[in-house]
Amino acid sequence: MPATCSTKCESYISSVNSSCTQRTIAALTDPRMKYKSLISPLPSTLRTRRARSRTCAEQEKEKAEEGGADNAIAMYPLDSKSYRLLYEVGSGVSAVVYKAACLPLDSAVVAIKSIDLERSRANLDDVRREAKAMALLSHPNILRAHCSFTVDRHLWVVMPFMAAGSLQSIISSSFPDGLPEPSIAVVLREILHALSYLHAQGHIHRDIKAGNILVDSDGSIKLADFGVSASIYESHPSSSVSLFMSSSSSSFFNDMAGTPYWMAPEVIHSHLGYGIKADIWSFGITALELAHGRPPLSHLPLSKSLVMKITNRLRLEEHSKDSSSGGSKKKFSKAFKDMVASCLSRDPSKRPSADKLLRHPFFKNCKSTDYLVKNVLQAVPAVEERYKQRRMAQEIKCINGGEMEEGSASPLVKHRRVSGWNFNEDVLELDPVYPAAESEEDTGRKEDDDKDQKKSYEGGGDQEEKKEVAKKKGSEAAPLTVLKQTLVPNLVSLLSSLELQRGMVMDVLSHCGCRDGQQAESLREQQMWGYIKSLQQTVEDLKLQLLREMKRNGELEEKLAVLKREVNANDEDLHAVALTT
Amino acid sequence: MKGLFKSKPKTPVDVVRQTRELLIYIDMNWNSRDPKREEKMAELCKNIREMKSTLYGNSESEPVAEACAQLTQEFFKDNTLRLLIVCLPKLNLEARKDATQVVANLQRQQVHSRLIASDYLEANKDLLDLLISGYEDMDIALHYGAMLRECIRHQCIARYVLESEHMKKFFDYIQLPNFDIASDAAATFKELLTRHKSTVAEFLSKNYDWFFAEFNSRLLSSANYITRRQAIKLLGDMLLDRSNSAVMVRYVSSKDNLMILMNLLRESSKNIQIEAFHVFKLFAANQNKPPEITSILVTNRDKLLRFFKDFKIDKEDEQFESDKAQVVREIQSLKKENAS
Repeated sequence: MPATCSTKCESYISSVNSSCTQRTIAALTDPRMKYKSLISPLPSTLRTRRARSRTCAEQEKEKAEEGGADNAIAMYPLDSKSYRLLYEVGSGVSAVVYKAACLPLDSAVVAIKSIDLERSRANLDDVRREAKAMALLSHPNILRAHCSFTVDRHLWVVMPFMAAGSLQSIISSSFPDGLPEPSIAVVLREILHALSYLHAQGHIHRDIKAGNILVDSDGSIKLADFGVSASIYESHPSSSVSLFMSSSSSSFFNDMAGTPYWMAPEVIHSHLGYGIKADIWSFGITALELAHGRPPLSHLPLSKSLVMKITNRLRLEEHSKDSSSGGSKKKFSKAFKDMVASCLSRDPSKRPSADKLLRHPFFKNCKSTDYLVKNVLQAVPAVEERYKQRRMAQEIKCINGGEMEEGSASPLVKHRRVSGWNFNEDVLELDPVYPAAESEEDTGRKEDDDKDQKKSYEGGGDQEEKKEVAKKKGSEAAPLTVLKQTLVPNLVSLLSSLELQRGMVMDVLSHCGCRDGQQAESLREQQMWGYIKSLQQTVEDLKLQLLREMKRNGELEEKLAVLKREVNANDEDLHAVALTT
Repeated sequence: MKGLFKSKPKTPVDVVRQTRELLIYIDMNWNSRDPKREEKMAELCKNIREMKSTLYGNSESEPVAEACAQLTQEFFKDNTLRLLIVCLPKLNLEARKDATQVVANLQRQQVHSRLIASDYLEANKDLLDLLISGYEDMDIALHYGAMLRECIRHQCIARYVLESEHMKKFFDYIQLPNFDIASDAAATFKELLTRHKSTVAEFLSKNYDWFFAEFNSRLLSSANYITRRQAIKLLGDMLLDRSNSAVMVRYVSSKDNLMILMNLLRESSKNIQIEAFHVFKLFAANQNKPPEITSILVTNRDKLLRFFKDFKIDKEDEQFESDKAQVVREIQSLKKENAS
């Protein structure tokens, strides 16, 4: 197959693979090509089969193997030739996760995390510690590595394949407003079991979040990614730098390097001397993430300045904020709110242990993991499908988003100061705490930022933007008219919301009697216009993108037809090959 | 207090004694079909965990110095350590981890301001042979490896391992295909060659010829990326240590060594290049360069200067920049000398 078409075919492959049998792909795909440059001819009858039934069967097969032998580690071969990479299911800054087949083990399905050791500048000792932790932990709720070995500059970590992917990807693809409470309870209980085990072992995970919670097709839940985990029994250099670096460099199933959103105050405020209770905080934040579809404060860009500002401010003010900012339409049970509130105590010693949390009333009538299969997994597209969608969404973001984020969003944020977080139990939200103004001059600016901030809670620009992204994903294959119908009204409402916000900001400024009000106003006006322009640009780019996609789709369709003809000719030969390999 | 309604709690000494008895039983009756075996095994695991919580404390209490001292004393009074190491493969995963942590902790426990673990190991050096051979058994390698690293915290023990034939085996162990084990062996190797300065300096001077021959040919010239990367980093750590200055002077006077380093500078891996630079600079900065070193540098002068012009690291580093400037000056001045 000529190399030129490999990139075009990539997206096609990953979507079609989901509905074809493992064996066929394994036999047809050349491992060194990493599946990209070889278009697998597929029997058309297989294309319609549901992906879920297939992965279930595979998982069962794999589990039988795993349970059959105690030393499962020894069974997995330690060379790259024994594995056939099928397709990407996730990627991070310096790691890619593949679904793969282990050929000597009857093409058992595994996940392979390929960590680029050259790109992850973090100390190799960190990598060693992660590999060791993963090799020595053994618990049904913890993802354990089968084995790991180096392939040139990459470290391959071979792990069980979790067919339903991470909860973060499940949420972003199918539950943008969060999961229903009974499902949350199931997930959290499983994670508490994992934490209870980890903490009893003296391990601190340090990176609990939905992106690190993996789900299998049978609803079983495993905690993954020990990239930043620490053991209190092992001396190690704990530096803040490596903490940030390795968390972003080795995260499983990609997400933005958003880890600081989940970080406990004592982790942010001092990088020393925090213990297992930091995991409990992150667990609480993860509960909020599952409930709302995103971690609290995630609408604030994760700029370095923000992190620095949180870090530098050691004093925490206890502002009791009025809870009118909520407006959350969801109702959560008292038990849930109470459980989360206890995890988010500012004082680590007041946070309950994982064991104690398991006895909380919230988990009393908790369903089994089967519940997730019926109530969550049914609604979710296959993991490779989701990955593809997200990557496309990211591409779009890259095309349009660049200037938008840097140009107009961050200057506003730079003035924002968050000194801490107050958990607002009524609406199950974290409210940022702002320090009192340091000087008279500062007051005007601060208040307007404050105001600005509050508005985004009230369903202003940010919410709209989120929906936009969701719409973008959805409209990929839709005709242009649908795109217009859905996008344009949203953008119009975003515009009017921006106008409204501008008015309110002006209002605040005039009330403060701020002298440089006029100046600030014109500045703000410019920023607004820049923002609106870039949004208009976004619409244009999306249209182009859509046209391009449609064209590509046509091309691929043609190619597929040609290939199908080839398949019919070669089908039998290939099956023979499959059997011999 | 805890035992108010229970039977009298066992003292740390009781726990160690019971552990020893159970270990002896397990060791002797491994293949027997004694129905009690399962039960005894469970009892053993429980005891090991209890020792761990005495030494490390638990969620309710911090460790008590007195209890730790008693436990340590009883532990080393007899051959409990030997039994525990020998029986480790027979334990389940959780007990193995507990045992490893217990052994690790005991190395640091002082009784009457003496590290009695060190005395015990010195009298039982064959245990170290056993621990090192663990790298050949995937099942126990990580546990034995962790114990071994703790044992070589004692200088006399590190000296024993350095001077033993085992040192040669590490060149194989750190290239094992299994990454967990290979990197554990590499960590131990590094510890052996950097921890106890005077011992390391003595070892390197005494064993210079075979050690660096192996180091160059098997590690620095390895086909394996991670081996090269770890080896060049370790070489820098060793040569830049003041206590190894005699070894350093010897190393940077060899033409063969220079050629290996220059090849590493040409690697496409930035990480390896940077580490190689930290060793290369020693060749260039050497004020008593042998003629053959000078002639290589002069021959490659233009190439080197061109290379250093573009050689940068991502983040600003004053030390690096000043080192680089000095190397460039040295190489430039060589040309003048040669020409005149």
